[in-house]
Amino acid sequence: MRAQASRASGRTQTSWLVAIVLLAAAIALPAFASGYVVDVGLTIITYAILGLGLNIVVGYAGLLDLGYAAFFAIGAYTTALLETLLHFSFWATLPFSIVFAGASGVVIGYPTLRLRSDYLAIVTLGFGEITRIVATNLDITGGPNGIYGIEPPSLFGFEISSPHAVYELGMAFFIVVLLFAVRLGRSRLGRAWTSIREDEAAAEAVGVATLRVKMLAYVMGALIGGLAGSLFAARFGTIDPTAFTYLQSVTILIIVVMGGRGSIPGVILGAVIVAGLPELLRFLNLWRIFGFAVALVALMLLRPQGLWPARIRRAAPRPEEEKRAHEAEAAEAQGKESAPAVAIADSGAIDAVAARETLMQVSNLERRFGGVRAIGGISFEVRSGEILALIGPNGAGKTTVFNCLTGVIRPTGGQIRWRGEPLGAGAPHRNVHRGIARTFQGIRLFNHMSAFENVLIGMDHRLHTPFVAELVGTRAARSEAAEHAALGQRWLDLVGIGARASEYASDLPYGDQRRLEIARALASQPRLLLLDEPAAGMNPTEKHALMAQIRRIRDLGVTVLLIEHDMALVMGVSDRIIVMDHGEIIAEGAPAQIQNDPVVIDAYLGTAEEDDGPDATDGEKSLWS
Amino acid sequence: MNVQNNGTPDAPRLRGTLHATLGAVILALAALAPGLAHSDTIKIGVPVPLSGSSAAAGTDILNGAKLAAAKINAAGGVLGKQIELVPEDDACDAQTAVQAAQKLVDAGVVAVAGGYCSSAALPELSAFHRAGIPYVLDASTNPKLTEMGYNTVFRTIGRDDQQGPFAASFMKNALRARTAAVIDDNTTYSKGLAQNTVDALKKMGVDVVYAESITPGQMDYSPTLTKVASLKPDVIYYTGYFSEAGLLVKEARQLGLKMTIMGGDATNDPTLMKTAGPAADGMIITTSPLAQFLSGAHDYVDQYTKTYGQGPGPYSVYEYDAVGVTAKAIADAKSTKPAAIAAALHKINSYPGLTGTIGFDPKGDRSRAVYITIIVRGDEFEPYQRQDASGKWEMMK
Amino acid sequence: MSTFLQFVVEGLTIGSFYALVALGYTMVYGIIRLINFAHGDLFMVGAFVGWTALGTLAAARLPLALALVVAFAASMLATGALGVAIARVAYQPLLRAPRLSILITALGISLLLENGVLIAYGAGFRTYPHLLTQTGFDVLQVHITFAQVGIVAASFALMLGLYLFVHHTFIGTAMRALAIDQDAARLMGIDVERLIQLTFFIGSALAAVAGVMEGLFYTQINFFMGFVLGLRAFTAAVLGGIGNIPGAMVGGFLIGLLEAFGAGYVSSQWTDVFVFGVLIAVLVVKPTGLFGERVVERM
Repeated sequence: MRAQASRASGRTQTSWLVAIVLLAAAIALPAFASGYVVDVGLTIITYAILGLGLNIVVGYAGLLDLGYAAFFAIGAYTTALLETLLHFSFWATLPFSIVFAGASGVVIGYPTLRLRSDYLAIVTLGFGEITRIVATNLDITGGPNGIYGIEPPSLFGFEISSPHAVYELGMAFFIVVLLFAVRLGRSRLGRAWTSIREDEAAAEAVGVATLRVKMLAYVMGALIGGLAGSLFAARFGTIDPTAFTYLQSVTILIIVVMGGRGSIPGVILGAVIVAGLPELLRFLNLWRIFGFAVALVALMLLRPQGLWPARIRRAAPRPEEEKRAHEAEAAEAQGKESAPAVAIADSGAIDAVAARETLMQVSNLERRFGGVRAIGGISFEVRSGEILALIGPNGAGKTTVFNCLTGVIRPTGGQIRWRGEPLGAGAPHRNVHRGIARTFQGIRLFNHMSAFENVLIGMDHRLHTPFVAELVGTRAARSEAAEHAALGQRWLDLVGIGARASEYASDLPYGDQRRLEIARALASQPRLLLLDEPAAGMNPTEKHALMAQIRRIRDLGVTVLLIEHDMALVMGVSDRIIVMDHGEIIAEGAPAQIQNDPVVIDAYLGTAEEDDGPDATDGEKSLWS
Repeated sequence: MNVQNNGTPDAPRLRGTLHATLGAVILALAALAPGLAHSDTIKIGVPVPLSGSSAAAGTDILNGAKLAAAKINAAGGVLGKQIELVPEDDACDAQTAVQAAQKLVDAGVVAVAGGYCSSAALPELSAFHRAGIPYVLDASTNPKLTEMGYNTVFRTIGRDDQQGPFAASFMKNALRARTAAVIDDNTTYSKGLAQNTVDALKKMGVDVVYAESITPGQMDYSPTLTKVASLKPDVIYYTGYFSEAGLLVKEARQLGLKMTIMGGDATNDPTLMKTAGPAADGMIITTSPLAQFLSGAHDYVDQYTKTYGQGPGPYSVYEYDAVGVTAKAIADAKSTKPAAIAAALHKINSYPGLTGTIGFDPKGDRSRAVYITIIVRGDEFEPYQRQDASGKWEMMK
Repeated sequence: MSTFLQFVVEGLTIGSFYALVALGYTMVYGIIRLINFAHGDLFMVGAFVGWTALGTLAAARLPLALALVVAFAASMLATGALGVAIARVAYQPLLRAPRLSILITALGISLLLENGVLIAYGAGFRTYPHLLTQTGFDVLQVHITFAQVGIVAASFALMLGLYLFVHHTFIGTAMRALAIDQDAARLMGIDVERLIQLTFFIGSALAAVAGVMEGLFYTQINFFMGFVLGLRAFTAAVLGGIGNIPGAMVGGFLIGLLEAFGAGYVSSQWTDVFVFGVLIAVLVVKPTGLFGERVVERM
C-alpha cells in the first residue's frame, strides 16, 4: 500500500505541473492572440466559472439544478443596480452580489430539500424562470431592456474595459473559484456530499446533517454563480434578461455533464467545448446548432460518464498518520496513556459504565402505521455497560424500535429518555451527535468511497476547527485533520481491517464490510451502539469473532443493543435479553431465564432443536426462516 | 458508474491525451486569429443573425447588402478598390454578437453596415466603438443605440420614439379614437415602441385603458383579449411581431371584438395574413416604407426577386442604402481610415437613397425618418395613409 | 361573471393541449424514470407532419373529414415511429448509465429536433389551411366555438381511452407492472424492451394529435412551438404527480385554467410566475404532486 501511495502521489505531482503550465499559458493568452480569440477565451472562462459552481450542486452533492442561471442573474443585476443606482464601485458590489446570490441559494434550496430528485428538476427550473420573468417585468430592473451604462471596474486608476484587461480579471476570478472548488471537494463538506450522493439515508444515520449539507450545496453553487454574474456585468457594460434564460441553465448543465460530473478538469474541458465549439463551427451557419446537438447526443451515447470523469475518491491515511495510529495502539496495549487525541476510549463513557447509570429509558413506546400497531406500548431500560439483545420473530417490531430510537421514524405514543433528557423526534443525525449510533440490517456503506473515508464520515461531526479554517488550511486545521485521520485508522485497526483502509467499501469481502459498518458507527464515539442483525450471512467462525468484537466494544465503554436471530450468539454474548412478539414485550431477563421461559418458547423458540453452546456448527439453521 | 481497475479512469495514457487535447484546443483558438489583411479590397462588415429563428431576416438583410456591393463594384468600386462584404452571424444573442463583432474588427473591416436585433446590436456597437469603426444600423429601432454618446453610430431606419408618436397621432387624428389599448410582447424592441406610443397617446389626450405584455410562444391569447374587450377600447395597437399579431387578430375576431386592430412595424409580414385569414382584413400597420411601396425602389424589388427567387423583406432595402451611404462616405473622406469615414458620414445630409433622402443628425439618427401606414386587404398589404408636411393625414395613392 | 366563465372556457381549451402532452411525459417517466425533454418537440414534429400531409392531400380534393383523418393518422404514425426510434437509439442504451447522462441526451435530442425542423422547413412560420369553422354559440353571455368543444371533447376521449387501456387490458397491466419493478417484470416474462417502445409510441402519438389539433385550431406552427408548451405540459405532469395518468390530465387542465385566470385578471406576462409558484407551493405541501404516491423507504 505504501508503494501504491507513492505512485499515486507521483501521478498527482505530474498532473499538478501540467495544470500549472496550462494555467500559465491561459493567463498569457492575450499577449499573443487577437481580440476575437481573447473574447472567446473570456466566454470560456465565464462558462468555466459557472460550470464549477454548478458542479458543486450537481457533481459533488448529486442534486439536480435546471435553473442555475438564476444565481448568475442575481449576481449580474446586483452589480448592475448597485453601480448604476447607488454608484458603488465594481469591487464594492462584489460582496453584495455574492451574498445575495448565496441568500437566494437558501431560498431556492429550502423547498427542494425534501423532494425526490426528479422533482428538483422542475422546481429549480421554475425558480430560474421566475427570476428571469421578474427581472423582465419589473421597472427597477429595467424591464426587457435591462440595465446599461455599467461602469467598467478600475484598479489603481487603470480602467479594465478592453477585452484583454477583462480577460485577466476573469482569469483572476477563475483561479479563486478553482481553488475554492478544489478545497471544498477535499473538505468534510465534500465528503458529506459524496456520502449523501451514495446513500442519503445512511449518511443521515451516521451523523451527517443531510438537509443542511444539501442546502449548503445550493448556497456554495450560488455564491460562485453570483460572482460569475458580476464578471458578466463588468464585461458587457449592459445586461438584459435574455442572458439568463432556461437555455442558459441548460447550457451550463451540459457543460458539467458532458465534461464529467464532479470532475474539475472535466468541467473546464466542457466549458472550452461548449463555448468554443460553436465559434469554430461558425461556417456552418444554419447547421451550427444542429451539428452541436448531434455531437452532444453522440458524446453522451459513447461516453455517458463524460469526457473526463471524476476520479473516484480513494482517500487513504497518509504514512505519518498510520504511524501515529500504530504508536497510539502500542501505547495503549502497554497500558500507557496514548496521546489524548488519538485515544479511542471516551473516558466519560468508562466512568458511566462503572456507575451503571440508566442510559436510555423507553416508556410506553407506541408506533402505528395506519391501522397496524407495529409497537404497542412497550417500556424498557438500557443500562450503561451492558450488552442487551432484542429478539423476536420477524415482524415483531424490533427494527421499528431501532428506527424510533435513532429518530428515523417518530413514535406515535410514549416517550424515550436519553441520559435523563427526552429524545426529541428531530432528525436522525442529531441522535448520532447525542451518542446513539447504529448499523443496518442490509449493509449500507458508501460503496464508492474507501473504507478509510467511510470511517471519517462517521467522525466528521466531531471536528472542532471551523469550516472556513479548514478551507483555508490553517495549521490548526491541518493538525486536527491529521489527528482525525490517525484516529480513523485506529478504528479500522480495532475492527481488524486496518490493512484495507484504502480499498473501496464495495470491494471488501462481506465480513469485512460488516466490520467496516461497525467501525463507522463507533467512530462517532457513541455511548450506545445499536447493531441490527450483525451476524446475518456470517459463518460460525465469523460469528465467534463477532462475539469477541462486541465484548471488546463494551470494554471501551460503549453499551450495545443488538437485534439478532442467531440464538447461540445471543445467548453467548448478552447480559440481558428482551423478547418481543407482535409489537409487545413478552419476556425480559438473563439468557438462562429466557431460554426456559414457556411464553418465549411458545411464541418463538418453538420446536426447532439445536445444540447449545457457542461453537455450534449449524449456526446457519436460523430459528426463524 | 463502473469501477474499473481500482477506479483510475482508463489509463494515464488517456489523461495525457486529454491534456494534449486541451492544449491543442487553446492553440487552435489562438491560431484562429487571422493575419493582417493586406488586400486591395475595402472590407465592410455585415453582422446579422444567420442562425436561429431570426435567420430569415438576417439573410434578407445580407442579400440587400450584396446587391448594393455588386452595384458599386460594377461601377468601379470606391477609391479604385472593390468592396468586400464580411458577414458574421450574431445569432440575435449578446454573447455571440460580441464575438462576431470582435471577429470583424480583427478581420480589418473599415466600416460596418447591418444589425437586426437591438439586443445584439448594442454589444456589437460597444465593440466597434472601442475600435473606432463606424456602425450603420439598418433595422435596429431602439433609441438607446444612438443615446450612448458615441459618434460612430448611424441609422438608416427610424427610431421607436419616432414611430410611437406617429402611431398615436394616427389613432387620435385619423381614427378619432378616444380610448386605446396597447399590447407588447415584453421584448426590448416591442416594449420600447409600446411605451413611446402610450406616452404620446396620453399627451394627446387619448385614454389608454390597457397597456400590458403578452408572453410570445403561447398561441392562445383569448384570456388577454377577453380582458381587453371588457375595457372597450376604440383601437388595439400591438407592438410585437407578425407571428403573435396574426394569432391576436384572429382570436380577437373569433371572440367577437369589432374595433380596429393595428400593429407596429414588426408585424409587416405576409405570415400575418396566412395565420389570420380573413380576420386580418382591415388591420392597419405603422411601418417604415416597405420596398414595394417606395417609388424609387421598383428596380431594386425586381432585381432582388430575380436574384433570390422571392421578394425582399422589409429591411433589406434599408441595408442597401446603408451600404450605399457608407461607400459614399468612404469616397468623400478619400480614406479608408475608420475615423475619417465616421466623420464623413456625419457630414452627409442629402444622399439619394432608395428609401428617400438620407442625412444624419448629430446623434447619428436619420434626420428625416418617414413612416407610413399600410392596410391589409385580402392577403396583400396596400399603402394606406401618411402625414403630409403639415401633419395632416392623407390617403396614399 | 360572464368574464369569469369565459376564462374557464378558454382555460379548459388551453389545458386540453397541455393535458395531452403531459400524458406522454408522465407515461415515459413512469416506465423508465426519464424526463423526456424532447417530448414537447415531438408535439411540434406532429404539427409539421400534419401540415405536410394536408399540403400533399390538398391536390387530392378529398372530403374534409377524410382529409383530417388521414392527416391525423399520418402524423400519429410518423411521430410515434420517431419517438420509438429515439428511444431505441438514444435512450435505451443509456438506461443503466448515470441518470444525468440520459437527461442530457434528451436535451440534445430536443435541440436536434428543433434545429432539424428549422433546417428542413426553414425558420419561417407555416400556416395550416383554415379548415375549422369559426362558428360557435353563446351560453350565459359566454362565447364558445364548436372547435373549442371539439378539442376539449377529443382530449377527454383520448385520455379516457388511455386510462382504460392502461387499467383494463393485459398490455396496460404489463406496463404498470413495468413501472413498478422492471426487473421483476422481466422475470415474469414481460418483454420489457418492446413495452418501453410501445410506451414511447403511444406518448408520441398523443403528442402528435395535440400538435395537429394545435395547427388546425391556431393555424400557425413554427420550429420553436414545442418549447413553451412542453415546459408547461411537463409542469402539469409534475403537478399531478409524475407517473400518474389521471394526475397528468388534472394537472393539464389546472395549468390551463391558471393561465387563463392569470392572463385575464393580472397580465399574461406573469403567467409563468403563477404556474411555477403554484407548482412549488403544491410540492412543498405534497412533495410527490397532487396524486403522486409516497415512496416509503425501508431501512
